[in-house]
Amino acid sequence: MSSRYIARRLLMFVPTLLGASILIFVILRLVPGDIAEILVYQSGGERSSIQETQITQIRQELGLDRPVVVQYLDWAAAAMRGDFGQSYLQRRPVTEILKERVPRSLELALLTIVIAMLWAVPLGVISAVRQNTWADYLVRVLSISGLSMPIFFTGVLMLYLLVRFFGWMPPLEFVSFTASPVENLKQLIWPALAQAFYISAPITRLTRSQLLEVIRQDYVRTARAKGLGEQRVVYRHALGNSLLPVVTFVGWWGGRLLGGIVIVEIIFSVPGMGSALATAVSQRDYPAVQAMVFVMALVFLGINLVVDFLYAWLDPRIRYA
Amino acid sequence: MGPGLARLLASQPLGAAGAAIVFLLVATAVLAPWLAPHGAKEAAFAPYQPPTREFLFGTDHLGRDILSRVIWGARLSLYVGLVSVMFGITLGGIWGVVTAYFGGAADTASQRVVDVVMALPPIILALTLMAALGQSIDNVILALTILLTPTASRTLRSQALSIRESPFVEAARAVGCPHWRVIALHVLPNTLATYIVLVTVNIAYAIVVEASLSFLGLGAPPDEPSWGAMLTAGTQAIEQAPWMFLFPGLAISLTVFGLNLLGDAIRDVTDPRLRGGLG
Repeated sequence: MSSRYIARRLLMFVPTLLGASILIFVILRLVPGDIAEILVYQSGGERSSIQETQITQIRQELGLDRPVVVQYLDWAAAAMRGDFGQSYLQRRPVTEILKERVPRSLELALLTIVIAMLWAVPLGVISAVRQNTWADYLVRVLSISGLSMPIFFTGVLMLYLLVRFFGWMPPLEFVSFTASPVENLKQLIWPALAQAFYISAPITRLTRSQLLEVIRQDYVRTARAKGLGEQRVVYRHALGNSLLPVVTFVGWWGGRLLGGIVIVEIIFSVPGMGSALATAVSQRDYPAVQAMVFVMALVFLGINLVVDFLYAWLDPRIRYA
Repeated sequence: MGPGLARLLASQPLGAAGAAIVFLLVATAVLAPWLAPHGAKEAAFAPYQPPTREFLFGTDHLGRDILSRVIWGARLSLYVGLVSVMFGITLGGIWGVVTAYFGGAADTASQRVVDVVMALPPIILALTLMAALGQSIDNVILALTILLTPTASRTLRSQALSIRESPFVEAARAVGCPHWRVIALHVLPNTLATYIVLVTVNIAYAIVVEASLSFLGLGAPPDEPSWGAMLTAGTQAIEQAPWMFLFPGLAISLTVFGLNLLGDAIRDVTDPRLRGGLG
């Protein structure tokens, strides 16, 4: 891999992240009804001129009365120093909330991907090698079923069964991995399984279709022709090349997973970034939403960067001329 | 039934099953006014009634017939799915193929825009967009189109990139084909398989995202018969009325299942390289 490719790819990282933060900033400013109105009107009662004054006052305090460009530049400058401002609702620094919530969500995402890969790739290989046999049909039906059941259906169903028949209760307090690995895994294994069941389906499907494509290539025929065993042909010659798009896909799904985590965290009461984000969006807590989406974009772009390097390293045709 | 169709059914049993399910879904959506025993918003019955002969799927917390709402929900889901995907995948596809073919600065710039949109997890982007746009079915379609366009552009661009380098494109250029002709007759047809698979799979995806948004309370307005919103109501009442949760959940799963089976079969059929057995 040429150092020029690495440099170019790294140079793209910063503008993309900037672009993403601007995009989310602009979208958030389109939201009708800002935090000042919510804070004032949540106490109820008739709208009065006193409330109008209060709203203006709060807007001034929070700097919401300034032009959007100024607000953004302020935000970006502070963010570079690691200061994401105060959460309107929790009335504490957003950085504190992030430090508490991000590791939990990352752990859940990692656990999900590991579980999903462990069963999805072997199933995909079986399905491809035994194309159009009962094993292939079974794997395909299973994986398509997994893909067909939305996480909010399987998740709630799973939770219902766990509570109803196994006496499982969603934890009242989150236990971190460092405090007690067993307790921590007990809390996260169910949401991870629910999510893994969903995302393993596309991984299985992709492994199957890619392997099917690669297994028809000339060099695979050559490998067979020179008398190699089927195992060696599939695992040494075909699988490596067919896993290339799978790697990209899993990286790409890592980002989507961060979105899906919103739903799974809400269902299983995991106090991670996803559930915090959902609350923040509905309460118009701009600084919290802005920071959390920014962190999600940062993580996602980081994964993409690694995936792209892997891709270029594995497939020389992709490298820049 | 002609021999060709019979052979196709025999070679793609899963695809045939998928086509049957999709046909059922389309029929349900089209015939909803005649099939549904009651109106989707008609709250005229006793709430929380379990499934009986009169109310096959029971009634919900507001005393609405769940069977009717599931049937009307098919229409809503299919409408949102079809419209957003046709807009999103077509726009994105043309965008991706054309920029890939010409390459250069325009291609680079357009892919940087795609990068920015795709840097945000889709559900998060949709959630934020819905909060900004306000809850309505048209806005769900708009948000989904914004979500789908960059993905389609990225996928079809990468395919067009390798097609561009093919000998037959070079040959077409060598015999003096103008660019638009090369794109229309040589590049686009070769992306068709991917386009069709993207469409079928993304209709399913769009239906799921719509339901997810409604599940989070930011999709279709609450009285609309969205399967996602019905699931939220069902989740809250799961102890006393599990049927409220079960039937919309099964409806959405069956729909997505059928669309996925069909998409899979279309992929196998349209891509000749995948036909036949091993070796």
